Amino acid sequence: MQTDLAQQTYLVTGATSGIGLAAAEILARRGASILGVGRSAERCREMEIQLGKKYPHAQVDYLLADLSRQSDVRHLAEQVGNRLTAQGQTALNGLLNNAGTFTYWLAFTPDGFETQWAVNHLAPFLLTYRLLPFLQAALWSRVVTVSSASHYGARLNWDDIQHRRHYNGLRAYGSTKLANVLFTMELDRRMGTQFPVRAFAADPGLVRTDIGFKGTPAFANWVWKLRRTGGISAEQSAEGIVYLLTEPSLQTASACYWKHGRPKSPSRLAQDFLAASRLWALSEQMTGLAEGVHHGKS
Amino acid sequence: MAKVDIIPATRSLVMITGAAGGLGKAFAVECASRGWNLFLTDLTSAPLETLATGLRGSYGVSVLTQPCDLTDPYSRTDLFARIQNERLRFWGLLNVAGIDYEGPFLGQSRQHIRTIIRLNIEGTLEMTHAVLAFRDPLLPFRIVNVASLAAFSPMPAKATYAASKRFLVDFSLALREEVRPLGATVTVLCPAGLPTSRECILGIQAQGWMGQITTQDIGWVAHTTLNAALADKPVVIPGLANRALIALGSLIPASLAASLLGSRWKTARRRRGLLGQVAAEPVP
Repeated sequence: MQTDLAQQTYLVTGATSGIGLAAAEILARRGASILGVGRSAERCREMEIQLGKKYPHAQVDYLLADLSRQSDVRHLAEQVGNRLTAQGQTALNGLLNNAGTFTYWLAFTPDGFETQWAVNHLAPFLLTYRLLPFLQAALWSRVVTVSSASHYGARLNWDDIQHRRHYNGLRAYGSTKLANVLFTMELDRRMGTQFPVRAFAADPGLVRTDIGFKGTPAFANWVWKLRRTGGISAEQSAEGIVYLLTEPSLQTASACYWKHGRPKSPSRLAQDFLAASRLWALSEQMTGLAEGVHHGKS
Repeated sequence: MAKVDIIPATRSLVMITGAAGGLGKAFAVECASRGWNLFLTDLTSAPLETLATGLRGSYGVSVLTQPCDLTDPYSRTDLFARIQNERLRFWGLLNVAGIDYEGPFLGQSRQHIRTIIRLNIEGTLEMTHAVLAFRDPLLPFRIVNVASLAAFSPMPAKATYAASKRFLVDFSLALREEVRPLGATVTVLCPAGLPTSRECILGIQAQGWMGQITTQDIGWVAHTTLNAALADKPVVIPGLANRALIALGSLIPASLAASLLGSRWKTARRRRGLLGQVAAEPVP
């Protein structure tokens, strides 16, 4: 059995099902220490026990957070710090921003953001930001954010970036996945050669998960059921993602967007450096990380 | 619709009741994105504070909050006293707070019936009266009252609620004429069921395709309603299908409409498996 990741710690969000769980399982099999994040205490406990039994040499812990609440995201980052300290660690070797959601009807989070924008983009942004000191403390580390091929048709409308005024669930989803790529590119640029942190966006492929069933009407459920039959398993998809998290040679890779462990070209809009830095500033403002100019609309 | 996205250069506030709920939050976000300073109220403090922090950070507006039980005269008095003490001035009021306990009249407790009347009618009217007294004399004053599509005909299983919303429609249209000389406008919003909670979404789904075509997203409703209020429109019914329903409904007698709606609701409730919950005896 491959246990090359002993003494390494990885944080995986959305780790109680789908791609996140599959990735956590692969990491555990390879002997890594896993911090999983989920919303439901019960499911977190289940997964902790299940993975712990299967891979006794791995350390598996779960932390509770509702990523639609920024206070939860901040609290999560603190808890991660505490756990690392408790385990005698100072560094985090990898962060897998995997948790994502889909909402058919527009809904606002407690902080007043469109739910997909908050969970799929702002939460990974804020979590990564807060965990940077731990990631920078590692010899080398990775931030992998799960984007999607649905970013290809998407654009960012800066006057209404959350699609509040003319909502369409799929278009809003696409925007958040485009934001994932832009965030990744800007993070990687900001880390430069000064820090050992590399950021990659992963295209998971079409995976047979339940994301299309989250509060959608019968017709949309049926469409997703049909579509996902052509998909790959979460385990297959997770292999490529774990590769991005753990493969040492990627430290000098130039690609930002990857599918199944191979570099792929993201959309033209996803390669717009100006948009990436504008999105970064806007996200800082929306997560309370920056004081200063307000854009008014967004 | 003409774009009337004006931002009054003022420190005066817009009051939003029910601001932590689905539609109230949508209004708060839409107002903040237009740069308007806000006073938010709802039953409890914590969600208001969370929302206020998000709005201040994202849009740079100032946001005041105070929890208030609008069904309680003492709680209302506290709220009005604060407004007076801090010499706050308003140029807008969005009466979003409202409640329904769905189900047959006899199946509801008298406490529930009282709460519907007190919140939907008494609370809304008192708030309107008070905030008008604290209006900014230099600005046109905008009132939006949130009624419902249910206001347009008697509604079995929502008898008290629908009538309370009918009250708000008539009240709004009358008040509109009275306050016109003050430079104030009144707009009454009559939405169909909005997808603001799991319960509501299940309710919409139970209505099948009718639910789909009569339902709008809250962000769009908030956006168009504010535009309508700034343009001094008397009534806003979001959605073409809903306007068509109301137009058709106005052609038939109220008793017939009630009977048709009664059987439609029974079907919808049966699909959701709720029919067994109909109480035969009055609930104390």
